[in-house]
Amino acid sequence: MEKKIIACDKTNDKYTHIKHSSGLNILVWEMDGFSTTEALFGTKYGSINTRFKTNKDKDYTVVPEGIAHFLEHKLFENEDTDVFELFAKTGASANAYTSFDKTCYLFSCSDNYKESLEILLNFVQSPYFTKESVDKEQGIIGQEIRMCDDNPSWRVFFNMLNGLYKSHPVKIDIAGTIESIAKIDADLLYKCYNTFYNLNNMVLVVAGNVKADEVIDIADKCLKPSEDIELETVFLDEPDEVVKSEIVDNLPVGTPMFNIGFKVKPRSAYENLKLEMELHVAMNVLSDAASPLYKRLTDEGLINSTFSTEIFNGDGFFTVIFAGESNQPRKVLTEIIREIENVKVNGLDREHYESIKKSTYGQVIREFNNVEAVASTLINSYFAGVNPFDTVKVLSEMTYEDVQKSFCENIDTEKVTLSIVES
Amino acid sequence: MSILYSREQISDGIGFTSIIDSKFKTNTINLKFFTELREDAAPLNAVTAGILGSSNSKYKNLTELTARLNALYGTDIGVNVTKRGDIQVMTISISSIDNDYTLNGEDLTSEVLSIFLDCLFSPYIENGGFGQEIFNFRKKDLLDSIDSEINNKRSYAILQAQKHIFEGEPSANSSYGTRTIAEKITPFMAYEAYKEMIKTAYIEVYYVGAKDNPVIKERFTEAFLKLYRKPHNIALNNISPIKNEVKNVKDKLDVSQSKMVMAFKTNHTDLYAIKLMSTILGETPFSKLFANVREKLSLCYYCASGFNESKGTLMVDSGVENVNVDKARVEIINQLEDIKKSNFTDEEMNNSVLSIINSLKGVNDTPTSLVNWYFSRYCRGEIISPDEEINRIKAVTREQIIEVAKSFKLDTIYVMTGEEE
Repeated sequence: MEKKIIACDKTNDKYTHIKHSSGLNILVWEMDGFSTTEALFGTKYGSINTRFKTNKDKDYTVVPEGIAHFLEHKLFENEDTDVFELFAKTGASANAYTSFDKTCYLFSCSDNYKESLEILLNFVQSPYFTKESVDKEQGIIGQEIRMCDDNPSWRVFFNMLNGLYKSHPVKIDIAGTIESIAKIDADLLYKCYNTFYNLNNMVLVVAGNVKADEVIDIADKCLKPSEDIELETVFLDEPDEVVKSEIVDNLPVGTPMFNIGFKVKPRSAYENLKLEMELHVAMNVLSDAASPLYKRLTDEGLINSTFSTEIFNGDGFFTVIFAGESNQPRKVLTEIIREIENVKVNGLDREHYESIKKSTYGQVIREFNNVEAVASTLINSYFAGVNPFDTVKVLSEMTYEDVQKSFCENIDTEKVTLSIVES
Repeated sequence: MSILYSREQISDGIGFTSIIDSKFKTNTINLKFFTELREDAAPLNAVTAGILGSSNSKYKNLTELTARLNALYGTDIGVNVTKRGDIQVMTISISSIDNDYTLNGEDLTSEVLSIFLDCLFSPYIENGGFGQEIFNFRKKDLLDSIDSEINNKRSYAILQAQKHIFEGEPSANSSYGTRTIAEKITPFMAYEAYKEMIKTAYIEVYYVGAKDNPVIKERFTEAFLKLYRKPHNIALNNISPIKNEVKNVKDKLDVSQSKMVMAFKTNHTDLYAIKLMSTILGETPFSKLFANVREKLSLCYYCASGFNESKGTLMVDSGVENVNVDKARVEIINQLEDIKKSNFTDEEMNNSVLSIINSLKGVNDTPTSLVNWYFSRYCRGEIISPDEEINRIKAVTREQIIEVAKSFKLDTIYVMTGEEE
């Protein structure tokens, strides 16, 4: 077992990184004065990981879409009991979620965190799938997929991804489709479990009211050592171009909703974080409420306060998104493109750039002030191959010239999809 | 480290609460105007709150204000308009990082306070009304918010159900009011509404920060002393009358999953026993509704209960396939009947107590949850700490749970469905 302290002098924060002998990495962030403990046990396995192989396989295995999420639902049932009932006895509030690139099991509590942590580690390591329970889950997840179909924010987002990506599975709904989940059976679930729930592919994160040494004791007791199976996940080649420049869908909504996505070439680890932050800063200078673009769009009644920008990135995908509500989304797109071209020629406003850098730093400080946010930033950065304090490092080293260059090189006004949902 | 809490009355109908905890890296000031939720006044108050949170006489529009706030390490001003029973609550809050965390030791605190006070007490005025530019933006935003209530089907179903559950009562209105009235608002009308609001609304101010800062209270006291105050009496809690006959409503909307909202009402005042009863019924993933109606019978995707204490109304909302609506309704009623008949285990009861304690102990961990906690206890009429609430929840007996369960009567069943009958 190796144990080291990772610290950030600027914010006066630190956490402990433990490389446990079982193969699991454990990150513990002790936060003085907080009552809550938040624990996340996660695997780097999300909806996009449908094509994989290990050192035991000759060829890549391809599995149905939605299986990571299906597996998450099924792990919540043990052989003899429901996991919620186990947590009920400790008072912890438990949950799980599957995203594009990870599956996490979590609890939050104010007392008895050690007991809850044992439950968490044990149930995630005890899969139990039968034909009956798989059949039943197909009905429950079918309902969940239907509920998402009624959600216009969800639809406008996935339609955009379908316009942007030709083959990358990020375009598929996390829960899959009614058809794809029908192909899931207990054997496939075991195959995916044994591949991705290997401790070498996982991480345990605990933040708040916690002691690192106590976590290590529980890990020693509960973790079953995993042999490294050299897991590889791959994606089909993704072209630089978008598939469709516009997608319109109908659902009952108030003002029409839009998502505008610019497709950017993905990076990994620290380079990815650096690009993410540079474009975050650039997009805010371009379009936040202090920008001339925002003022123009509001003065003409083209947007309302739901207008926002976001960087959406992960393994093999990177998109800069503008989202909001508008009666004239095409005009909003034209204005954004015009402003991008203008900034490419004339440069980002320097004073505004300095303010956005400060405000981004302020956001990081706020994150470190909240137990839930700390736990989630720990796990997100771990799976992204960086550490939470790298954000502070990137910000302190960031220059205006880097940001301007990054903006010019990565934002291509030809590689854009406009997705609209209207009544 | 522990929390220092204090509240005092600083003017007529105005309270100032200070919550100090050294673990926080941010300072938050939160001001709530609250007044009776009236159909005619609701959109005026909503648009006014929006304007106050996005401009002042020094920073006349959102562009100027945001530019300054960005430079103050992303100091954040937020506006939130909600309803609590029969009252409309307009919350305007500002939050900034503590001076200790600035890169060059800048003093943010005093400038942030001045900006916030200017937003509240020195709005930008043109021709006897609010500035046209910020008014236009906020009015459009309000109209779009009203139109967008339909976007989230779960909350939209609850909102539509409330029109029937609270028929004829202020709480039947949406917190933003109606589009018809909102459309007619002018900058002058909104400014008049502002003057009325600072004169007649009740106001609670909260400061949550790492260090005590007496200047904040002094500056607010000073600002309020300059105002002529005549607060209108409001009833923070108004138990909703139980209908003689259960009201059944069915609405059609293009949805693939139906939504059902059931309302049960009571006159009972034992809020701690009701909280525990509702938790056993449907507030956790091991509750009766979740474990039986969702998991065992697979009738709903979600099925949860919540008690609106200011209206004496327990609501159960669920997402159901249309073919299962009747079965789900019967089963939801059965679960409540089971509690009335003492058909729940000591374990279900103890686990529910643990779950409540778990969330109450977490209240102290974020400025937002602290403000929500102390404001809701103020509205209840007795300000107690989460720890004291824990003691009261622990003292609830099985007999009390059965007694309060028995007091609930089914009042309204609302179904929103996409399919033809």
